[in-house]
Amino acid sequence: MDPVAEAVLASWTLDLKLVCLLLAVAALYLRGWLCLRIELPRTYTTGKLIVFAGGLFTVLVALASPVDVFGGLLLEAHMIQHLLLIMLAPPLLLLGQPVLPLFRGLPRWVFKDALGPFLGWRELKQIGRAMVHPVVSWFALAAAIIVWHLPRLYELGLHSQAWHRAEHACFFWAAVAFWWPVIGVWPSHPAWPRWAMIPYLVAADLVNTGLSAVLCFSDHVIYSSYQLAPRLWGISALDDQSAAGAIMWVPGSIVFLVPAVILGMRALEPGRASIIRPLPRVKNPRVLPKVPWDLLRTPILGPIFRYRYFRRCVQAAMLLLAAAIVFDGFFGPQVAPMNLAGVLPWTHWRGLAVIALLMAGNLFCMACPFTLPRDLARKFAPPRYRWPRQLRSKWIAAGLLAAYLWAYEAFSLWDSPRSTAWIILGYFIAALAVDSVFKGASFCKYVCPIGQFHFVHALVSPLQVKVREPAVCGSCRTHDCIRGNHRQRGCELNLFQPKKLGNFDCTFCLDCVQACPQQNVGILRVLPGASLREDRPSSGIGRLNRRPDVAAIVLILVFGAFVNAAGMTEPVMLWMHQWHSRLGLSSMVPLVTALYAAGLLIVPTMLVAACGWFSLRWSQTNSAWKELTCSFALTLVPVGFAMWLAHFSNHLVAGWSTAIPVFERFFSQVSSGTFPQASFPQAWMPSWLPSLELIFLDLGLLLTLYAAWRVAHRFADGERMALTVVSPWAALACALFAAGFWIVFQPMQMRGMMMMH
Amino acid sequence: MPKPKLLWPVAIILAQTLAWADGGAVQLREEAGPFVITVFTAPAPLSAGPVDISLLLQNRNGLEPVLDASVSLILRDPSGAEIPARLTREQAQNKLLYAAPVTLAKSGKWQLDITILKNGERTSAKGTIDVAPAPEMTASYWSYIAFPPFTIMAFVVRERLIRRRKKG
Repeated sequence: MDPVAEAVLASWTLDLKLVCLLLAVAALYLRGWLCLRIELPRTYTTGKLIVFAGGLFTVLVALASPVDVFGGLLLEAHMIQHLLLIMLAPPLLLLGQPVLPLFRGLPRWVFKDALGPFLGWRELKQIGRAMVHPVVSWFALAAAIIVWHLPRLYELGLHSQAWHRAEHACFFWAAVAFWWPVIGVWPSHPAWPRWAMIPYLVAADLVNTGLSAVLCFSDHVIYSSYQLAPRLWGISALDDQSAAGAIMWVPGSIVFLVPAVILGMRALEPGRASIIRPLPRVKNPRVLPKVPWDLLRTPILGPIFRYRYFRRCVQAAMLLLAAAIVFDGFFGPQVAPMNLAGVLPWTHWRGLAVIALLMAGNLFCMACPFTLPRDLARKFAPPRYRWPRQLRSKWIAAGLLAAYLWAYEAFSLWDSPRSTAWIILGYFIAALAVDSVFKGASFCKYVCPIGQFHFVHALVSPLQVKVREPAVCGSCRTHDCIRGNHRQRGCELNLFQPKKLGNFDCTFCLDCVQACPQQNVGILRVLPGASLREDRPSSGIGRLNRRPDVAAIVLILVFGAFVNAAGMTEPVMLWMHQWHSRLGLSSMVPLVTALYAAGLLIVPTMLVAACGWFSLRWSQTNSAWKELTCSFALTLVPVGFAMWLAHFSNHLVAGWSTAIPVFERFFSQVSSGTFPQASFPQAWMPSWLPSLELIFLDLGLLLTLYAAWRVAHRFADGERMALTVVSPWAALACALFAAGFWIVFQPMQMRGMMMMH
Repeated sequence: MPKPKLLWPVAIILAQTLAWADGGAVQLREEAGPFVITVFTAPAPLSAGPVDISLLLQNRNGLEPVLDASVSLILRDPSGAEIPARLTREQAQNKLLYAAPVTLAKSGKWQLDITILKNGERTSAKGTIDVAPAPEMTASYWSYIAFPPFTIMAFVVRERLIRRRKKG
């Protein structure tokens, strides 16, 4: 092939956002179409699927193919792009009768709870009906075509990306409205008789013809940008303009006139005067199953997770990895970016753990290597004692969590492979020591600070280890899920499945799944954050919203997220160093201690106490301050989790590749004793990373506000009172969101990579 | 039963991401040796920060695109500091162009020194580009700030609709 032609055909601009959007729409349509094909096989034929897919492909061609790339150099390419967006993509999409399949393709709760109220909104229906009324839609398309081809506005589109987008959006949506009454998209009530669509189309063609004629016969170049643009293959700007006019004229007229002819022929056929017919009523609509999606019943992952020794295999792999990290931490180079202990725990493990919490649930505890040695030890020496009653709370874990977050910054743990190795080793010893003496998973439930991190944040995870059919548990007398049986132990954290709410204290060990003789426990999909607003007691936990120890852990984690992330930003580091030199301190530890005491303990306590006080005072409710404050403190989990996600995903994305040279060095050193020349990994900061972090923060804030709003209804009668109760907490959540927004845009110390971003 | 007209709010949101732009602005057009050189920059208007510089090389006779040259560029900021860049077709979206991503640290007038090597022959061209100050970073992320209030408004409307339906 000619190299120039090859280069032209290779000029695609596949934008990730566009491709994802088109794929998502295609997936929605396909999902809905698969349901409707069973219910209405004569209406939702394969042909509908094909034309809809063709419409999406046309949009892709218009916006990502060489047609788009050369639009800035050749008016004729730009004209083809506009023709695709106005005359081909909209009718193809509408011929696929997309309304019903797209709605049916949505998740049930989105359709019913989120969109449902809007679908019955009378005013919105009237606006929608007006938009697709033939008079409005005809003038809308005519205006869009004429106005955007005025030289000043056309030039605006050529020089500004935002205006160019606006131009394309106007063309596309005006064309959707224009073709709507022509095609008779279901369910719509035709405002005009079918024959009236013939003059409607012919009149639109007249506008198109007039504009085409201006372009074809003009004796000067109308759009000056094309005069300035380099001329390809010697085509003059005037010839290019005439060709563009011809493209608009001939194929454009065909697209308008062919449907007019078809409509005319159909109108002359007896008995086909009214083409839009109501869809037949579905006799036996396919009722969507009420049982939510279950990970354990999926084709590939299900059998893997159900495999009895799956957890042991994952734990063993993690144990090997932990051993390698500890070994390298003690005996490898004490340079964090070149040591497994400086890279894997702080860059990769933390990032993957929070992503697992976001996408699934508490997978870290499932794969926890620390409990494997203690399980082995228990085979030989089973523990005798129960955890002391006085210590059955989260206060010890809360103290350890605060100490851990403080030590991380005060002693720069991320920068010290040896300290990291000591922490991991200490963890193994602590788990072994505690659980050798005390029964059950006492270490996990009452001591482990990392476990608490995962327990709290799993409250916003989309999956939960849960009973599939509650009625089955009603007839169960053995309660194997908690008591265990001869082949499988029961839940070590005392979570009785039929009475368990949410993921708190659940390690995803799947012991209950294996123990249940009815196979009635699964990993089911739940609404993220639903358990944050529960006011019911849960097995082994009690009421979460009445436990100050749980509220303390939540607050340490929420405020810790922001303090921890802020600690690595340039302004905070500079500020710390200024105070360090001003006070003449020999170490940064006192300053870090002061910062963490203020950030994790004093400020959160004061803010939360004040919010609780204002809520009670303004609303004049009779509720107890403790219950109210603990309930609302729980609702802050999503915004805190969003900050952890933004922070750790930043490290993970930027330092993903750092594991490769570190492993190379480790294996080289272990196998041959040689130390290859160190090559410090480069950070990769993609342009989409800040956007991703901001999306996390946005969603975190919204989930917090929603949960708080729902909790407020428990303490208030009526909307106005609820608004008063929630307002201090909403203000606190917004302040945290603003702090997160500020942190995302600060220059950061790229820990583990020896460079500043 | 869902009504088709109610796709409009979804449609408006989708439209934000559906459309996107093409190439940048012409910064320089010059005839040098056997070539016609056109330099484009994106974004338009050009501002400090990460930018895309692309170059179209054409034969002076017939204006056929030249695809087998080696193109390099030196960008000189107002203080005289230099940024070298090698422009390649692989880095360009339009495969008739040679392009490279560059970060312009400062605003002001930047000098361009273009060097083209083809069949052992060297051709040079010079030019200047005006670079505006970098836009406020948060300004380019306004939609992320606007998203929560927009969603809250939609939620308020939803709650009112539910209440109205209950009353009705």
